[in-house]
Amino acid sequence: MGRTDLPPGQQEALRKAVRWEWFTIGYTCVTIALIALVVSGSQAMKTAWIEDMLSLIPQISFLLALLVIRHPPTRKFPYGLHRAMAAGHLVAGVALLIVGGNLAVEAVLGLVRAEHPAIGTVQVFGQTVWLGWFMVGVMALVTIGPFIYGPAKAKLAPVLHNKVLYTDADMAKADWTTTVASIVGVLGIGIGWWWLDSAAALFISVGIVWDGYRNSRSAVLDLIDQRARTYDDQERHPLHGRIIAALDAQPWVEASAVRIRDMGQVFHIEAFVVPRHGKVSLDHLEAARRALAEMDWKMQDVVVVPVAELPDEASRGDRGEAKVQPAPSARPRRGM
Amino acid sequence: MTRPRPRGPSRKPAGSSRAVGASAIAALTIALAGCGIQIPADPDGSLERITGGELRVGASPSGDLVVVDGDEAEGPLAEVIEGFAAERGATVVWTIDSEEDLVDDLVRGRLDLAIGGMTASTPWTTQVSATRGYPGLPGSKGADVTVLLPLGENALQAALETYLDEEVAR
Repeated sequence: MGRTDLPPGQQEALRKAVRWEWFTIGYTCVTIALIALVVSGSQAMKTAWIEDMLSLIPQISFLLALLVIRHPPTRKFPYGLHRAMAAGHLVAGVALLIVGGNLAVEAVLGLVRAEHPAIGTVQVFGQTVWLGWFMVGVMALVTIGPFIYGPAKAKLAPVLHNKVLYTDADMAKADWTTTVASIVGVLGIGIGWWWLDSAAALFISVGIVWDGYRNSRSAVLDLIDQRARTYDDQERHPLHGRIIAALDAQPWVEASAVRIRDMGQVFHIEAFVVPRHGKVSLDHLEAARRALAEMDWKMQDVVVVPVAELPDEASRGDRGEAKVQPAPSARPRRGM
Repeated sequence: MTRPRPRGPSRKPAGSSRAVGASAIAALTIALAGCGIQIPADPDGSLERITGGELRVGASPSGDLVVVDGDEAEGPLAEVIEGFAAERGATVVWTIDSEEDLVDDLVRGRLDLAIGGMTASTPWTTQVSATRGYPGLPGSKGADVTVLLPLGENALQAALETYLDEEVAR
């Protein structure tokens, strides 16, 4: 129960994910340093810079959570420590929400106060060059990274059923809009449209707030045990239907229902069964438990409970539910 | 609560968004260059107004650097500013006041530049813009002297900094 080891496909995916997270951290640190060299009076540039720093939070919380969740369950933590991933998710979400909101307010105040951003010049090889050109250059360079690591992580997230990795990848995919917005802001200052800078900063910060909202919401919903959903929170997890179908196929089962909560990467499952004629043997229950546990790597922590009446809040599944297989995670054992 | 819109899989592939972003920037740059717009430009048109006109400069006395003589400023820094004005065919109109009043005049648009003992670490930069520090200017004695100007008049700032760079190199 509460197992912490992964099947080979997931282990490989996890190794790759860790490598990509370290790569992202390294890349982001370089871009933060590069932007520090040119950041000046542009609010959009500053906002994009802070956004870069914030974008480190999901990677750091992913790597930290990985250290924690590998501990096996104990008497003290009978469900294992899988929830650490959700806790990290929540921290990342709230940080984005607060800083994004702060930046949005600053951008609005900049517009209201009609603050004219000043960008001076730098001297390079005896030539005096407007610093704005360097800002545009650096940001154009910075755009490239997320196009490399974003899709790579997006491919791994469903395999691992990892929401932190998924939102991280999703944020990276939206990252180029931030960079382009900051370039637009700087060029706006260049042609004398001072307001374009604050407008671009507002656009970027609204994006950060939206990311924060989505992350916090998803993390909170998992922490308060909403029923398990797919890695992208789009649909009810197909395992609901598959578990019901598997149980209902047993000759000794009259009816079944299931409760699944997402512990972060793995599921905790309570399957309720009404035995025919009110009788069931211990062997049947144990066989059913093992069969469910073997159905998918995500659900080692399974309890099968014989009941006289199914609880209302448990999912009864439906035929459609059993057929839906949107996530690749539903069939993890084929070599990835 | 509303469900978040489907994102990830329904999005356009990354390559095409990059192409869109890059071509948008390229198009914008070409458009700007094509229109003959000067970059950087002044939202309030300071540099254009000054050229062949009046350069309104505030001065507060500072040691040997800025020496006040009646309504006029003298000293090495004042001479450099006179030189900048001459290059743009402008005549300097001096205002002598305290540093704080000069900053206030800059904010209200009554002055184009302000000089005095200000250095690159001046605390006024939330209200006004400061040029880079120029420790090499005559009479600065190694202090990184800066010139204050209104926020966001970036063409004026670029022109002034270019002139100061040349002065220091001379």
